[in-house]
Amino acid sequence: MPDVTLTVDGVTVTVPAGTNVVDAARLATIAVPVFCYHPRMEPVGMCRMCLVQIGTPQIDRETRQPVFDADGKPVIAMMPKLVTGCTTPVSAGMVVKTTTEEVQFAQKGVLEFLLTSHPLDCPVCDKGGECPLQNLTMQWGPGKSRFDYNDKVHFAKPVPLGDLIYLDRERCILCARCVRFEDELADDPVLGFDNRGRNWMIISKSDPPFDSKFSGNTTDICPVGALTTSDFRFKARVWELESKPAVCTLCSVGCNVSLDMRHDKLMRVMPRENAAVNDIWICDKGRFGHRFIEHGTRLETPLVRSGDRLVEASWGEALQLISEKLSAIHAAHGGAAIGGLASPRLSNEDLYAFQKFFREVLESHNLDHRLGAPGEAGLDTAGAMLGVGVGTDLMQLGKGATVLVIGADPEEEAPLYMLRLRGIAQRGGNLITANLRPTKLERSATTRLRYTAGSEQRFTRALLRAVYEIVGVERAQKLRHSGMDELRSTLNKERLADLAAAAGVSEEALKATAQAFLDAEHGIIVYGAEAQSAGEAVTQDLAALVVLAGKAGRANSGLIALLPGGNSRGALDLGLRPDAAPGYTMLKQPGLSAHAMWTSKLRAFYIAGLDPAAELEVARAALEAAEFVVVQDLFLTATAQLADVVLPVVSVAEHEGTYTNAERRVQRSRQARPPLAQARADWQVVQQVAQLVAERSAVRAAGNGRVGAAAVADAPGWGYITPSDIAAEIAERVPGYAGITYAALTATGKPGAWGRQVNEAVYYDGTNYENTEGVGLQYPSLAERARGTIDLAPRAAPTPTGERSTLLLAQPLAYDGGALLRGSKLEAHIPSAYVALSTTDAEKLNIHPGDRVRLVSDRGEVILPARVVIDLPAGVVLVPANVPGTGLANLQTGPQTRVNVVKIVTE
Amino acid sequence: MPLTEHIVMREYDVPNIGLFEVYLEHGGYAALRTAFTEKTPADVVQMVKDAGLRGRGGAGFPTGVKWGFLPKGLYPRYLLCNCDESEPGTFNNHQIIDHNPHQLIEGVAISAFAIEANTAYIYMRGEFAKSALILEQAIARAYAAGFLGKNIFGTGYDLDIFVHRGAGAYICGEETALMESLEGKIGQPRNKPPFPAVAGLYGKPTIINNVETLANVPPIIAKGVEWYRSFGTAKSPGTKCFSLSGHVNRPGNYELPFGTSLRELIESPHYGSGMKGGRPVKIIIPGGASAPWLTAEHLDLPLDYESIAAAGSMLGSGAVIILNDTVSAPHLAYKMDEFFKHESCGKCTPCREGTHWLVKTLHRMNAGHAEADDIPTLHGIYKQMAGNCFCLLGESAVMPIKSALRLFPEEFEALVQTNGNGAKHAIPLMMAKH
Repeated sequence: MPDVTLTVDGVTVTVPAGTNVVDAARLATIAVPVFCYHPRMEPVGMCRMCLVQIGTPQIDRETRQPVFDADGKPVIAMMPKLVTGCTTPVSAGMVVKTTTEEVQFAQKGVLEFLLTSHPLDCPVCDKGGECPLQNLTMQWGPGKSRFDYNDKVHFAKPVPLGDLIYLDRERCILCARCVRFEDELADDPVLGFDNRGRNWMIISKSDPPFDSKFSGNTTDICPVGALTTSDFRFKARVWELESKPAVCTLCSVGCNVSLDMRHDKLMRVMPRENAAVNDIWICDKGRFGHRFIEHGTRLETPLVRSGDRLVEASWGEALQLISEKLSAIHAAHGGAAIGGLASPRLSNEDLYAFQKFFREVLESHNLDHRLGAPGEAGLDTAGAMLGVGVGTDLMQLGKGATVLVIGADPEEEAPLYMLRLRGIAQRGGNLITANLRPTKLERSATTRLRYTAGSEQRFTRALLRAVYEIVGVERAQKLRHSGMDELRSTLNKERLADLAAAAGVSEEALKATAQAFLDAEHGIIVYGAEAQSAGEAVTQDLAALVVLAGKAGRANSGLIALLPGGNSRGALDLGLRPDAAPGYTMLKQPGLSAHAMWTSKLRAFYIAGLDPAAELEVARAALEAAEFVVVQDLFLTATAQLADVVLPVVSVAEHEGTYTNAERRVQRSRQARPPLAQARADWQVVQQVAQLVAERSAVRAAGNGRVGAAAVADAPGWGYITPSDIAAEIAERVPGYAGITYAALTATGKPGAWGRQVNEAVYYDGTNYENTEGVGLQYPSLAERARGTIDLAPRAAPTPTGERSTLLLAQPLAYDGGALLRGSKLEAHIPSAYVALSTTDAEKLNIHPGDRVRLVSDRGEVILPARVVIDLPAGVVLVPANVPGTGLANLQTGPQTRVNVVKIVTE
Repeated sequence: MPLTEHIVMREYDVPNIGLFEVYLEHGGYAALRTAFTEKTPADVVQMVKDAGLRGRGGAGFPTGVKWGFLPKGLYPRYLLCNCDESEPGTFNNHQIIDHNPHQLIEGVAISAFAIEANTAYIYMRGEFAKSALILEQAIARAYAAGFLGKNIFGTGYDLDIFVHRGAGAYICGEETALMESLEGKIGQPRNKPPFPAVAGLYGKPTIINNVETLANVPPIIAKGVEWYRSFGTAKSPGTKCFSLSGHVNRPGNYELPFGTSLRELIESPHYGSGMKGGRPVKIIIPGGASAPWLTAEHLDLPLDYESIAAAGSMLGSGAVIILNDTVSAPHLAYKMDEFFKHESCGKCTPCREGTHWLVKTLHRMNAGHAEADDIPTLHGIYKQMAGNCFCLLGESAVMPIKSALRLFPEEFEALVQTNGNGAKHAIPLMMAKH
């Protein structure tokens, strides 16, 4: 749209057409006070705080030309009444006056009105100190009120809107920001209004109340202290807090957060603005789910096994024991007898050090970042190599973009993606969802596709075939990736009609989707847990589709995998996998995957931050059978209880490091407090063990006369002093991560480095979203680097085994049962284990909610209470993947487990 | 002189004119047939324009011109008939329906045809349960006769009329709040623009007309523009159903040609039949509670839009409230603003907080605890409201207090002087009952 030039208080400013007067004034560096207006939401003009005077050039009625005065200046016709700036779009030649007597009178009036109903309890209000009502009253309000204090209305307070958010009705100025946020941005229309006039009030309309995963954001945008979180309420005064920049590691979005600390204590978690990641929002998991940092059950000292018990030991003892045992096993049986697992929530530096220790010191490629459960996602090699191009910014996408979301439930898997993908559709983009069951994101989609249960692979192959038909063989032949011949011959063999029929999606819909994706200026495929758990055949096809469609290696195009861990991408990139060293250097002789480790009679395990023994029988057995097990973790997990040595490590708040999000953005998180008790950083522990093991090996080697004794003193390559040293080594050694040093990361946050970083009390009110720590750097995918070729050969689809009829779907829930929600208000939101059935199946089997249901697979069986879900397709049962007690890991046979469902009849 | 021929209350004297057969016998639905079978929508719009019909809901905007605002080529369109009638002092709409629902149905149908809408809603104030029933029965009768429904008179034109009852909110008489309510949302006004004619009900082009306005349409079509213009004044043609209330001997609805004087309405034996007990007129509110007050000096004003506006008030919905010298202006202002406070939807700050504050202050003053600075405060409050509210409800709430302070300042000063103990006390206010 063309730009429009106008004058605000004498300042001439040019803004895009459609901009409203408040925003235009802001661009002219003039603040128009607002309460109900929020730049991320549709203006409503309710609070009347932004009243301004406007005039437009007078137009002669006859000639339809502007009228000029004697000096040749256009005559301005001022509007007789004040108008709300937020609801008034600018027009060419408009004159806006924000400081005239009339405007000031109205501003003072609105503030005086608002304060007549306000309890004026700033001294005990959580918002005090970051309150727009305070700030605006100081700048625009009347000095004193004429209202008789005795006339104040009083309400019962506080009213819990849900268990996380409390409403103080006396403080509420009824701006409806919270209601509109939930309606417009979160698509959770759970808040509303009741009654009217002065009795108008915010209520929750949902059951359970305020049922939204984004509820905490309403307290940030609340311009008064009406909404407070049960997490932070009456905990601290905001001016006592120091905001420490961090990255949330609870999912793959990588939201920028501030850990607001009072001395060394975490008081609250707030969003930190990063337009390319989380904008100014975070989900409730990120906001409320960080209480584990200070949970009383955190490990404080090293523990060493003594018979049946784990007893406290010094670091020296523990490390000596580990090095002694590991080097003995290494010397006797080689590195192949040792397995290493590291959690995908650890930082890049931790993960890199961990794999380096295994590969270079223990000479083992038995590395993984997964648990080794049968149903979990594959290594997604092609997808990981491709990714989305550098410069991808979902917040900027709208018209001209086609985003395909396949087998994903973003709200549960990576909640902020729900907001970000929905935003693309709201801005006019093409959002196509394909799922076997309805998801919340689907409500915002422009096109919804529904494939039949278990046909993920047929569906993606059909889509690939549809793209192939449109782009033609010639283009496919020009591509220089490996596996192209297999790809072509596979595609030539399959007919779209058959594939479409197998997937239960019409050929027309597939063709239209393929065409939309090809035609789009920006084409992105987002795939989630359901697509990933269907096997690597799916992700391989999606990678081929992106390459074939010409969307690889371009900004705002490519693949985004909603990965299960906060730093899963970093773990894949940095070689926490048996088949590739850091940077996808594929190994000729790969090591064992987690899944294989459990059945390979390994002699020793080194596990950092993962808890395979909790759910997985086979893992428990392997760990019990092993000679020596080291676990380093925050808590004494089920796995740690089996260990010979348990080492306490630091949490994200005590840790400095970088994390790589689902879009290959590397972001830096800072240390917010000193380590708890004796806890050390994962990389530090690994380095110390590595040094000691290397030392012993060198001594042994020297004994054999191979290496001189001088090498003992400093083990080569293990002299890291700070995590930045490791980051520097990653930047040097790992292709793609070149140039991503701490200095470079922080430099991205300097003012002016990017356009939309704001920290203006008036505009965004009191909440501080300030980001001084950098917005992260995206590194180029293999597709963007000249020498990268990707193996695009299609993988065979797993064939269903046995006679079992029902597809078992493991659904990852946002509020999971892992250790990280420990101590948070979200614990009450974690469901106990259940199995969800479709109404059709429930009727057929005469199963009612609460009935006990037996699921039988080829591997085992579990008994779970039933839920009946109206919109689930028949022939599918849904079991939460990550809450305790489902027995899922012992039931799954691999991708796409099939089960029999039996109702248990009790006498 | 009383009218010999009525427009809104057509065939006023015929017994049971509200019955379908009787109405039919006396020329009812003839205009409908004429319009549907002999005229184009544009013809009907032109006739209404030429007749000079003005909206009776309050603003007096020319109806035909309003219909012309519909954007070309955008369908579906909706016709909404506003029968929320909740302005204090207004009570003619439900009488029009009770008296003869068919004339309204015919008017709605012709108007829907004129604006090319296939669906019309009649939004009725929740309390009008009886009128809604009458109307629904009459609509069923019209459907049965083939005057509504599919392919009316074989013209291919379809029309459905639905009756919707509100839940009791004055604000739902405001056209955009009415649409919100009809859509099942909380009754609150919308931002304008977009105006309803462009994006109204369900985001579609929508025309909203008052009951009385639409009841004027069948006679215009049946008897022609010239006949219609023989009533009233040049700028305000036709008649108006005035709702006369207050201290007059015979309150009630009276259909008068525009231009009749206030004095005639009050004093004529055909209408108000003079003041009760012969007491003098003190306050005249010519257009419902939202209209600025007039006084006895205005008794000879002709009742038409222009003359009343020239006197500083507005004809509004034609609800004429006449009050005698026993009425205290501060108390009247209090009672009227209590209404507005009770009905304020709460959406915008000045109306929600302003009415609340006005009522608190006026209540305290009337209860004998007035303070000298209360008078400037009252001036301050209404000035802070005037022109700054989201919709006209807040602006309307300014009128009673502004009029009272302007016309009868001495009564407020007297309250201050007679303050019993000089203490500024909050007086418990009877809580709103909802």
